Amino acid sequence: MSENILVIGGGPAGLNAAVMLSELGVNVALVERDSFLGGNPKKFKYKFLFPDMQPADNVIGELIKKAESGGNIKVYYSSEVSDFKENGKKFDAVIKSASGSETKTFDSVIVATGFEHFDPARDAKYSYQLFDDVIDIKDLERMMGENNFVRPSNGKPPKKVAFILCVGSRDRHVGNQYCSRVCCTVSVKQAIEMREHFPDCEAYIFYMDIRTYGFFEDLYWKAMEEHDVQIVKGRIAEITSGPDNTVVCKGEDTLLRGPFEIPFDMVVLASGMEGGPQSPEISSKLGIELDEHGFLKPENVTLSPFKSNKPGVFLAGACTGPKAISDSITEGAAAAMNAYTYAVKNR
Amino acid sequence: MEYDENGVSIVPAELKKEIFEEARKDFRYEEYVRGCLNCGVCTGGCPPHRFFDFSPRIVLQKMKSKDPELIWTMMDEYVWACFQCFTCAMICPFLNSPGGVIAILREIAVRRGFESAKKVLKPYSRVLLKLTAYGNQLSPDMIQPDFFPDWGPHIGYASTDLAVKRKAIPMPTLQVTNLAWDVAPETMKELYDIFDEAGVFKIIEAVDPSLYEIIQDIVDDVRSS
Repeated sequence: MSENILVIGGGPAGLNAAVMLSELGVNVALVERDSFLGGNPKKFKYKFLFPDMQPADNVIGELIKKAESGGNIKVYYSSEVSDFKENGKKFDAVIKSASGSETKTFDSVIVATGFEHFDPARDAKYSYQLFDDVIDIKDLERMMGENNFVRPSNGKPPKKVAFILCVGSRDRHVGNQYCSRVCCTVSVKQAIEMREHFPDCEAYIFYMDIRTYGFFEDLYWKAMEEHDVQIVKGRIAEITSGPDNTVVCKGEDTLLRGPFEIPFDMVVLASGMEGGPQSPEISSKLGIELDEHGFLKPENVTLSPFKSNKPGVFLAGACTGPKAISDSITEGAAAAMNAYTYAVKNR
Repeated sequence: MEYDENGVSIVPAELKKEIFEEARKDFRYEEYVRGCLNCGVCTGGCPPHRFFDFSPRIVLQKMKSKDPELIWTMMDEYVWACFQCFTCAMICPFLNSPGGVIAILREIAVRRGFESAKKVLKPYSRVLLKLTAYGNQLSPDMIQPDFFPDWGPHIGYASTDLAVKRKAIPMPTLQVTNLAWDVAPETMKELYDIFDEAGVFKIIEAVDPSLYEIIQDIVDDVRSS
């Protein structure tokens, strides 16, 4: 008799965990709240992934294909774990979907409930949703993905675009003191993409610190040296409307200009990552710990970042904190290995 | 204060250190000064930054440097450029209050009777005198071109024939030009008690000793009446 493992969340981490377990011959129940697999990258139609600009479909599409064709994976779409109980060393879970509720016993559980994009409308200084031409990184990803990169206000191609980093991150006013890790690299990637496809359009990046960590730094150099992206040190204090249907970024260039007010055709806010409402929800449902940032808390952040405080319940991906897709995929595999070991030991 | 041959004040290092310690010991310090990443949001949103070489980011950074020399550089005219609007405190992503730091430093400058404080507070001596003598902040006879240049080109005309103009106001007035409203002696005594408790008289003594003497005479008169 083979093991039964529950995977909650069908994003990069959950998908990879499910696929690996399936290859080990484990029966996987993959519970996904949306009507499709792929998580945020699919939901918001990410087009190209950093650092090598490969099509997101190569990664996400590939994982979805494997998960959907893997014989041992049962995918529950538009569903949730509505009830969860420990049963000795095993777990009884009720999976609720449109077609009804199903109670099953699992040997172990992987939580991969991911993150939510910060909603920039929560920080009034950025005037998101007030001005049509202020969008955020996920909006731009979708526009690029749909080959529809124009100013929302008038449908014309922009000539000057600002990217603003640390929106909803490193900001105590919105309650997020942490760095969201990937937004710098995503913004630099988007600026490069924009300059490649629309060379007439100037790109500015306003930053407090550029955190293109590790090899992502290559993109930062590339943006500067090959694509003439203007990189200005200074966080934006306010976005207002300007003459000729422009949006004005106001701030202090702490290195060069001093105070500035620069009009742009379009502003892209690098909104960060949050634990979302699903993190506290799953925390209370499964009886696992939540951290002070609103993400799920690993048992030991260094030794076992993929373990929850409850034996048999494992964590993978951005549910434990902001993360790049590659890290989520890695953690999916790590959690799969641990969930499998636990299941085999307690069979 | 001592000055060198170029008229530059010679300030002993001990005094600078004392001022820094005084600011550090202020009960509000821990609340106002936290981590700072030099993001520039405060300065980007700072109204006086448009007009003066004044930056709340620099204020906070200098305070955080714990370098008495750097803090001393702000004790002259610099701290007086701030509007005390506290926009910086409102918009700082890390909940610092550069405006609050300015308030602490200004209070030190006033308590110690620094030249910059004397200069800035000079125009207010008339207000202080009026307030302590009559319990009024402003009265018609204080409207003079020298003191209200920002009242526009007609201030000259506005300041003449005050008694007549006062009579023309279509509502009850005291029909005098040295008072805007009447204040009872008991109220004045209470006001002095508050000034005593709050250390206002001490501040006036430090900043303007001759004004302090005049005010003390008035206070004694009212208190003994």
